[in-house]
Amino acid sequence: MDKTANSRADEVVLRYVAAARPVQQLISDTLTQVAGFALLVMTSRNRAPLAEGALAGAREAAMHASEAVRALAVPEIAEHHHHHLRAAAAALLQACVATLDCLRVDACGQSDALVRTLRSSSDHLRTTTRLLPGFELVDFGQACCAAHAPQRLPQNVT
Amino acid sequence: MADYSIWVLEYAAVEKFPFSVMMYGPQHQGTRKLPYAYVLLKGKGETILIDTGYDHVAYGEQLATAYGVSNYHGPRAVLAECGVSPEDVTSVFITHAHFDHMGAIHLFPNTKFYVQKSELDKWTWALTLGPEYRFLTGGGDPADIVRAVEAANEGRMICIDGDQADVLPGIDVHLAADTHTYGSMYVTVRNDGARDGEDKWIFAGDLIYTYDNLTGLDPEAPQIVPIGLAVGSQHNLIFSSAQMLKSVGGEVRRVIPVHEDRLRTTFPSRLTDKGLQVVEIALAKGEKSRVD
Repeated sequence: MDKTANSRADEVVLRYVAAARPVQQLISDTLTQVAGFALLVMTSRNRAPLAEGALAGAREAAMHASEAVRALAVPEIAEHHHHHLRAAAAALLQACVATLDCLRVDACGQSDALVRTLRSSSDHLRTTTRLLPGFELVDFGQACCAAHAPQRLPQNVT
Repeated sequence: MADYSIWVLEYAAVEKFPFSVMMYGPQHQGTRKLPYAYVLLKGKGETILIDTGYDHVAYGEQLATAYGVSNYHGPRAVLAECGVSPEDVTSVFITHAHFDHMGAIHLFPNTKFYVQKSELDKWTWALTLGPEYRFLTGGGDPADIVRAVEAANEGRMICIDGDQADVLPGIDVHLAADTHTYGSMYVTVRNDGARDGEDKWIFAGDLIYTYDNLTGLDPEAPQIVPIGLAVGSQHNLIFSSAQMLKSVGGEVRRVIPVHEDRLRTTFPSRLTDKGLQVVEIALAKGEKSRVD
């Protein structure tokens, strides 16, 4: 491959990373929300109605993420990454449904499915962090013990 | 004689951490070592941790290269210094949901976990606000919450709503709402079992990073100076610090900040062959010292 072709290939991957990163972030945030709601339901049944309203918003976000994943232009080198991103979104949607099931019926027997789908989404998401750079899940920039690292500043800030 | 043996166990460290993050205000005043540590309590038939540390497998390399975290060792190696294994741990109090305090739930298979309800509720809410509000949720890992759900499904995750006395014998927890995080919690160990006894220890989580947060830097004019990072308010951090200090009769050394390197000179301590500090705060009857 000549230099121009190489540079074109890099550009395609960079475009994928730039487009996929916010989608991964949305999946990650929504997964945390759904897991938080699930925790609320499992540890405090009388607060479950609070979770039901919020869960509708999370489900909408999960559907949006799922559509956004499908709409990504995927270069060959990113196909493996995209596979796990798509699986993370699909499992997240299933987790939303499973959380609703836990709210609507006697939770016995339903919670295992919920845990399974949350775990699946989390594992696929974790895999995306290892396949391409720029997909870290934890924002250490605002974490207490890592707040000292240099932050990237915009060009016009001195 | 103490009811619980108490150790603070270092598991990693940032060797050069800016002092201005540990304490609000003093800019350009150099660096200090910031140990990462958790607390081990043994007594009354229980083996208890305050916080779990994090799992190096998930993001250890990222932390090491970008943030200078060094000398990480997992709980199996660290707890072995006190003759304990992760499987022995019966309870963990999670002071807050940041990765370095709650990031290793899955490494403790036989443990019940205690966390403040508002820590999880409000964090979940803050995630609905959008990316421009991510300061409010930084330092959290979605995998940790999923693991918390798994523990809850096994009946091992207990959400506490506010202050609660005698969660375990002689151990009380207190909500410090809207401080370092939404539902930060500090833990009081009444080590003589008495309600108003004198042998009381407070484990502050990240409500303070150093004793200097309780005293200020001028010995002639002591003051409470909050840490440099809060999603709640400095006001609430100051008043929760005052409450902790009052609770131990103003005896500063009894409010334990796990990130304070000077614990090793305030209490008996030992440097392990891995270069980690073991700090011994109390010994229960029949327990042998781990720092001799």
